[in-house]
Amino acid sequence: MKLDACRSWLALILLSIFLFSCVMAQKGDEGAIKEFQDRIDNYLSARKKQDVARKPTDSADKLAEQKQQIAEKSQQARPEAQRGDIFTPAVSAYFKKQIQSTLHGPEGSRVRASLRHAEPLPDVHLQVNAKYPKNLPLQSTPPTLLKNLPPLPKELQYRIVGSALVLYDMSASLVVDFIPGAVPVT
Amino acid sequence: MEKRLTKYRNAILLIAAMVFALTGHLRLAQADPKGVSTQAAPAAKLAIKIPLQDKSVRFAVIGDSGTGDRAQYEVAQRMEAYQQATKFDFVIMLGDNIYGSHSPKDFVKKFERPYKPLLDVGVKFYASLGNHDDPDDERLYKPFNMGGERYYAFRKGEAAFFALDSNYMDPKQLSWLDQNLKDSQGTWKICFFHHPLYNDGRHHGPDADLRTQVLPLFQRYGVNAVFSGHEHVYQRIKPENNIYYFVLGNSGKLMTHDFGEARERVKGFDSDQSFMLVEIAGDKLYFQTIARSGETVDSGELPRIHP
Repeated sequence: MKLDACRSWLALILLSIFLFSCVMAQKGDEGAIKEFQDRIDNYLSARKKQDVARKPTDSADKLAEQKQQIAEKSQQARPEAQRGDIFTPAVSAYFKKQIQSTLHGPEGSRVRASLRHAEPLPDVHLQVNAKYPKNLPLQSTPPTLLKNLPPLPKELQYRIVGSALVLYDMSASLVVDFIPGAVPVT
Repeated sequence: MEKRLTKYRNAILLIAAMVFALTGHLRLAQADPKGVSTQAAPAAKLAIKIPLQDKSVRFAVIGDSGTGDRAQYEVAQRMEAYQQATKFDFVIMLGDNIYGSHSPKDFVKKFERPYKPLLDVGVKFYASLGNHDDPDDERLYKPFNMGGERYYAFRKGEAAFFALDSNYMDPKQLSWLDQNLKDSQGTWKICFFHHPLYNDGRHHGPDADLRTQVLPLFQRYGVNAVFSGHEHVYQRIKPENNIYYFVLGNSGKLMTHDFGEARERVKGFDSDQSFMLVEIAGDKLYFQTIARSGETVDSGELPRIHP
């Protein structure tokens, strides 16, 4: 009788610990997402102050000129930029967890196949606040992975270069930040 | 006397032939790039396999075209000849429109110059983005008619076209596609984008993850035909779920001997560059795939399968 009561108490305690850890993990995730979104907002508001409006044009010269201006101004807006400004340790840990669960979850084999078929890129030297490596294609990002990562404003995209997850600024062609080794499958 | 006259006549004919051959050669040598003429092939040699019906929708298809190499120019030259004969008035581009660097010179060398004769007669190009494209520059480049967007829709007669960005199929684009397919009144719904959903080519293969996301929408809203590039060959795929699939990624690039066992394809061509002509008339889609050499490598008519 006593043994049964002890067993019940033990089960209850274990269940409480499990639920508590789940809640804490969820809070941790929410915190990481919030931190990430705040940093993205800060990046964009700094960038928008410097922005050069881009409009459709017939002139490839004008496009090149505008892109150069945007890149220079964006770079000037964060002269001290370094890796981890956006992908802080907590945010990186959250992203790595999301990527791992996508690659090894129920849709994992399909996502991994998609990465293999996408014309995977080699690991190249990346630098925060520098131009995306010249003439390097932009490998496609699997749609299922995009569903499992926090949404981005239209100016920014998640891209995969080698095994790194890159936060890419489309208009400026800049590497905003990156997480090395985040996508080990490639 | 008569013998001498024949001799003269032969000599004149010989000289005329030499002059003709020499001027032809010079014209080739002066053209761009590396000796490719920008003159269209003679119309007499064209074998047209589409019916050219009144009020039909006629267009050409190119994929993985933007190399700036000789083969791209020769395909463009062949397209020009067929444009004169068939009067197609637009071209859909299946991505990798500009390979390598994207300097202003590249836009000229890899797009404006090869297709100048077509652009000059008012043929419009509608681009979709490949992994070698610069999404921001190209969406804003007016001759690509993307309206400043990575993905967009347009209408030609009874046919509705949806240009998708398969490099970055995020939830926002999926929701856009859902809404636009749902609202579309087009009798024919045609989607085009870079990465193929079905593909027998060994170099890349199909994009199964993309397929899982977009196929339910294609089926729900009755998409009739899908055109993709990426694999540098031509393939006509067995119709799947009432949808016709074409892969055309060899209008500039080419991957020879790329095919393994035929699992998905009905017809494949991997020994030369090519482009397609398509005509939509009523409930039929007619197509003709033409190699750089001028050979028709595939053609046929496909009925619209009602969902």
